[in-house]
Amino acid sequence: MNNNRVYDMLVVGGGPGGYTAALYAARAGLDIVVLEKLSAGGQMALTEQIDNYPGFENGIDGYSLAEKMQKQAERFGARSEYAEVLRMDLTAVPKLVETSEGIFRGKTVVLATGADPRTLGVAGEAELVGRGVAYCAACDGMFYKGKTVVVVGGGNSAAADALLLSRVAKKVILVHRRDALRATKIYHEPLAQAENVEFRWNSTVSALLSGDRLTGVRLRDTVTGEESVVDCDGVFVSVGRQPATALAAGQLSLDKGGYIVAGETTETSVPGVYAVGDVRTKPLRQVVTAVADGAVAVHMAEEYIAGGI
Amino acid sequence: MAAMNMNQEQFEQAIREEKPVLVDFWAPWCGYCRRIGPAYEKIGEEYADSLAVGKINIDEEPRLAGAEGIEVIPTLVLYRNGKAVDSITAPGSKAEIDRFIQGALAK
Repeated sequence: MNNNRVYDMLVVGGGPGGYTAALYAARAGLDIVVLEKLSAGGQMALTEQIDNYPGFENGIDGYSLAEKMQKQAERFGARSEYAEVLRMDLTAVPKLVETSEGIFRGKTVVLATGADPRTLGVAGEAELVGRGVAYCAACDGMFYKGKTVVVVGGGNSAAADALLLSRVAKKVILVHRRDALRATKIYHEPLAQAENVEFRWNSTVSALLSGDRLTGVRLRDTVTGEESVVDCDGVFVSVGRQPATALAAGQLSLDKGGYIVAGETTETSVPGVYAVGDVRTKPLRQVVTAVADGAVAVHMAEEYIAGGI
Repeated sequence: MAAMNMNQEQFEQAIREEKPVLVDFWAPWCGYCRRIGPAYEKIGEEYADSLAVGKINIDEEPRLAGAEGIEVIPTLVLYRNGKAVDSITAPGSKAEIDRFIQGALAK
């Protein structure tokens, strides 16, 4: 791939934002390639059921939706490469993206790199991944059939994880640092009604207890400072996301949380570079808002290309 | 060649052959297993000359998975001369699988 081909658009990341950009770009006749390190979908690919993406009245699993988006874009000529991005030069002319599969050059770049689960930041966490510490209930929940699990967090994904696990595990203990859930109301009732879900409000995880694998957690009460031990077989960490912007850092403006600063037009601080989906500063991170970004980015990129480079 | 679904018997025969064998331990309910699926199929094609590439559904072969010490899926294991050379759990990219295979083959 170390040739001199210059694409009209390089899309970095094959989630819903990336593949929608690919679809719109291909339909606009742009020469476009999606650089994706694993498979289409990003975070969405690990979502068991998506019920808030319009058009699928019975819901659809995230992996299948991603596959459909990829195939749809490819039907119009978009290309996909299994390429892990190693380095980017976003201000070069043409812009340059160095990957495990070689160098790609493009007149414009759409950054659709998404976000990853945030960690607890407690000692021993990384070593215990796969041995009791998990970040995806839909993926790893089945390993905890009939066991006791702790879910950490109070947002929508923590609530959804706790609900999902309550159907599998013997007991679910939801640990949240505040005294109420931030999750959408729709989750409150079923969680409160689930007989095997217990709440530990105003609590944070201060330590992970383990032998060969996780055996429990130590909780700290954020009000009294008291510590207590909860025995469990697994901890599901659901405390938010961090944007995948390490490779772009230093080249364009990021906010305090590491998200790429870009408004409704998806334009970043670097001309010809657009940020779409969860990686961009925005009030609501959803599949529907990611796909909208993808379409807008292509519109802006077309204007940029038409204006001469 | 696409990755072949193996049962215990096929697995035991495959790892006795001269060609090293790469096995993906997976299950249908495992979302991340599905995510690495397309990249794994591609690996099967790209390494067709140097590797036999197979898949083992741990729900169908629980005893085999237990005997091979599989506690987390997806786990990829590379076997040579009947023995496990190295393994990798939940690779984050196709490039990571490539690096794993090259490292394991060099051992």
